[in-house]
Amino acid sequence: MSNPNAASIKEQNKSAASSLLKKNIRKFLNNKLAVFGLVVVVVMTLACIIGAVMGVDYATPDLTNMKAAPEAGHIFGTDTIGRDLLARVLIGGCYSILIGVFCAVLSSVIGAALGAIAGYFGGWVDSVIVRISEIFQAFPQLVLVMMLVAILNQRGLGNLLFIFVVTGWMTTFRMVRNEFMSLKNETYVKVCEAFGMKRSNIMFKQILPNVMSPIIVSTTTNVAFFILQEASLSFIGLGVADSTPTWGNILNAAKSVSVVTNQWWIWVFPGLAISLFVLAINFFGDGLRDVLDPKQQ
Amino acid sequence: MDTKEIILDVKNLNTTFISDRKEIRIVKNVSFQLKRGTALAVVGESGCGKSVTMNSIMRFLGKNARVEADSIQYNALRDGKVTEYHLEKIKDPNGPEMRALRGPDMSMVFQDPMSSLNPVYKVGDQVAEGLIQHTGMKKKEARVKVLEMFRKLGIPDPEERIDNYPHQFSGGMKQRVVIAIAMICNPELIICDEPTTALDVTIQAQIMELLKDLQVKEGKSIVLITHNMGLVAEMADEVCVMYMGRVVEFGSLEDVFDRTSHPYTKALLRSVPVLGLADGQKLETIPGSTPNPANLKPGCEFADRCPECTAACREKDIPTFEISPGHRVRCLKYKNFPEVD
Amino acid sequence: MLKFILKKLLLMIPMLLVISLIVFFGLQATGIDPINFMLSPEQLSASPEVVEQLREELGLNDPLIVQYFNWLGNMLHGDFGYSITDGTSIASTLAVRMPYTLELAGYSLVLSAIIGIGIGIISAIRQNGIIDYIGRVLAVLGQAVPQFLVGIILIQIFSIKLGIFPAANRVSPDATNAFVDAFMHLFLPVTTLTIGMVAVLMRYARNTMLDVLNSDYIKTARSKGIPEWKVYLKHGFRNAMKPVLVILMFRIPTLIGGSVVVESVFSYPGIGMTMTNAIVANDYNVVMVTTLIIAATMLVCSFMVDVLNAIMDPRVRLGE
Repeated sequence: MSNPNAASIKEQNKSAASSLLKKNIRKFLNNKLAVFGLVVVVVMTLACIIGAVMGVDYATPDLTNMKAAPEAGHIFGTDTIGRDLLARVLIGGCYSILIGVFCAVLSSVIGAALGAIAGYFGGWVDSVIVRISEIFQAFPQLVLVMMLVAILNQRGLGNLLFIFVVTGWMTTFRMVRNEFMSLKNETYVKVCEAFGMKRSNIMFKQILPNVMSPIIVSTTTNVAFFILQEASLSFIGLGVADSTPTWGNILNAAKSVSVVTNQWWIWVFPGLAISLFVLAINFFGDGLRDVLDPKQQ
Repeated sequence: MDTKEIILDVKNLNTTFISDRKEIRIVKNVSFQLKRGTALAVVGESGCGKSVTMNSIMRFLGKNARVEADSIQYNALRDGKVTEYHLEKIKDPNGPEMRALRGPDMSMVFQDPMSSLNPVYKVGDQVAEGLIQHTGMKKKEARVKVLEMFRKLGIPDPEERIDNYPHQFSGGMKQRVVIAIAMICNPELIICDEPTTALDVTIQAQIMELLKDLQVKEGKSIVLITHNMGLVAEMADEVCVMYMGRVVEFGSLEDVFDRTSHPYTKALLRSVPVLGLADGQKLETIPGSTPNPANLKPGCEFADRCPECTAACREKDIPTFEISPGHRVRCLKYKNFPEVD
Repeated sequence: MLKFILKKLLLMIPMLLVISLIVFFGLQATGIDPINFMLSPEQLSASPEVVEQLREELGLNDPLIVQYFNWLGNMLHGDFGYSITDGTSIASTLAVRMPYTLELAGYSLVLSAIIGIGIGIISAIRQNGIIDYIGRVLAVLGQAVPQFLVGIILIQIFSIKLGIFPAANRVSPDATNAFVDAFMHLFLPVTTLTIGMVAVLMRYARNTMLDVLNSDYIKTARSKGIPEWKVYLKHGFRNAMKPVLVILMFRIPTLIGGSVVVESVFSYPGIGMTMTNAIVANDYNVVMVTTLIIAATMLVCSFMVDVLNAIMDPRVRLGE
């Protein structure tokens, strides 16, 4: 009697879970902007990867064909020293997206771990970590990045990734810490503690899953943030060296007024690429937030 | 019926919420009358629509709610003369017509005193606000009135407390302030939406006594929304039992408690502890759970949980029968009695 | 209230110390002989013995920790040392450029607060109305287009095509009216900086106001029968202001960071530009001093917001 019953409850739970997933997917699909965002993100990422796999030539300057307007051979035209812009935008996309995703994920991981520790333990552990994050926040992030660039005195991709992660974990940290501070007083946490469960287990297996939704959402939007940040840094000339193209340092060409006025394609195409991608990520992130985390619009 | 005797007359109230492009009817054909100077208790499980019904009457629902009714008639009695208001005809829920009534005629006490007060203003100013709005009084005169009200409601040291902020008050005292806000313009009708659920038991008793006093001594008409049967027995003259957005039983306190007729009301009363429960008698639970309002089957909403359910119960909408004067039940068991709408 | 302000002021001191430590040791980490930026070029070009003697006098042979306190003392006296590249006194450079940046950031802050919060609140009150819709589209665009690109486009349109506003600098040599000159030079950079800020603030103000409008005390306010504008302004706006102010504070770093970029786009001679140029030229002392100044400004800003917050919220003011 009890067995078939138990099975049916399990079944019910399963079907409830799958119907929730279905409902969420339906809700997401109903949000046209979010779907648009997802499609654009996927298409642009794929295009960049395919470009990289095909090994398009983005590095060889063609001095006979500098600043060429878009034409059949070069759909996006060529840049100031005759490199094909389409190739550069594709490869630049690879690097920009890599920078965005890598930094967003890693800084979320660091922020979440520190936030979990600070929020769960409280006391002096909390105040030390909070002070550290406040000191980081006292610097405008871009200024902090610039300071680190100055100290490291190197413009490599590795350095840039390191600097972005070091300076980018505070928002996730704050959010996770606040969530943990309120969640740790929930009854189920008390129950786990009463069972003598290991603290690390409680923190990361019991509480953290409840905070995953906002973390996922903020990671998504952080991808956009880091891409923009890299672009700004490259624009003022402190980003990755020119031999590694990113959307940001392709746009660096737009510092010259004569390029802006006379060779629109040199800045319009990479500018469009970056804006469109960031726009799409933001739409996608908003859609995710509506589905995963309805309470904080 | 006499408009002097009846203060609030609701006929076929329907409230529909629109969510996710779907319409969900939460309150269905609710009709009831409130007699002047009496207390009506609206009872039922959480989510049965009792709160939504009252908020529909006061028009406090958001833009995603649609309120329709044949009639929501409010009869104000001023200097022996009755003025009728047809609330269902008022279009703008926060327009001047509705606003003129809120405060001097009808007011509401909310469930959670912790969040019903604005944290950034002094309590005295919050109480005075309505008074100044409706009477055009000066701040100084209003302050005197507020102090008077605080004293009446048993708030200690009113001269000092009037300049405190909400966070300096305890829960029970906050609820007294909320009641002061509701009472300051001397309304005839006070709707209390679970006014004591958020408070502890001793404070609960004090607040209920206060409300009973207001009704008996000052002749206020009170609607009390609650799921606490003990409070109902103490407070109410008449009881309205709701289930899944419908009134299933309506009658005087004695009708509902002593001559309980609807199977749901019976089950509800059996699930409440009372003094003098026979030895070994267990509290009963109502089997099953409330159905999802988004996909209801035809017939009686309670059919699946009802021990006396018949095939006819699942066929079509159930009418309401009047089994004795003023005692109405929405159940086919009583189909030999006259039908009312 | 006074106690609260004092407490906040005292808390700033350790923060400033830690920041100055980071900056000082950051400077040491570059491995450049500090004598180079502690003396003016004339003194440096003197004979090596004199320089060595000065080194002793300046305490550069002392333990690092003593040097740190000396350095800190100099900083507090406003003696920031000299730029390595052009030998000018940093203090005198900053005296000119700091106000320019404060102008740029300050105007954008005020402007974006007014526009962003205004549109945000109206969007919340008239949810799904036309202003809400337009605001949402603008917010999304403002967040997606890189700030420097906005600047470039504005220069392209208003300076090059239409020729209304100058594309660079802060003062024109031939300006007749200082106010008009300032307005002309500030208009485009301030607009650029404001667009990004407004996008964020608008969104946040809208969501906060929506939250507040759903709270119980708004219902209580309505139950008093007061007019809707009073419900929105007195009960809604007043409560929504607090979180919005906090977010405004959190946005100030982004604003200063943004002004670094915008100064670069418009060749605007503020400290952002000073810093950018110094990094490119490896002028470490200038980099560190500007960093320190910016961090100190940030702390002062956050202190002011704390005080403002306390004024607005009785729970903080009455010390809970």
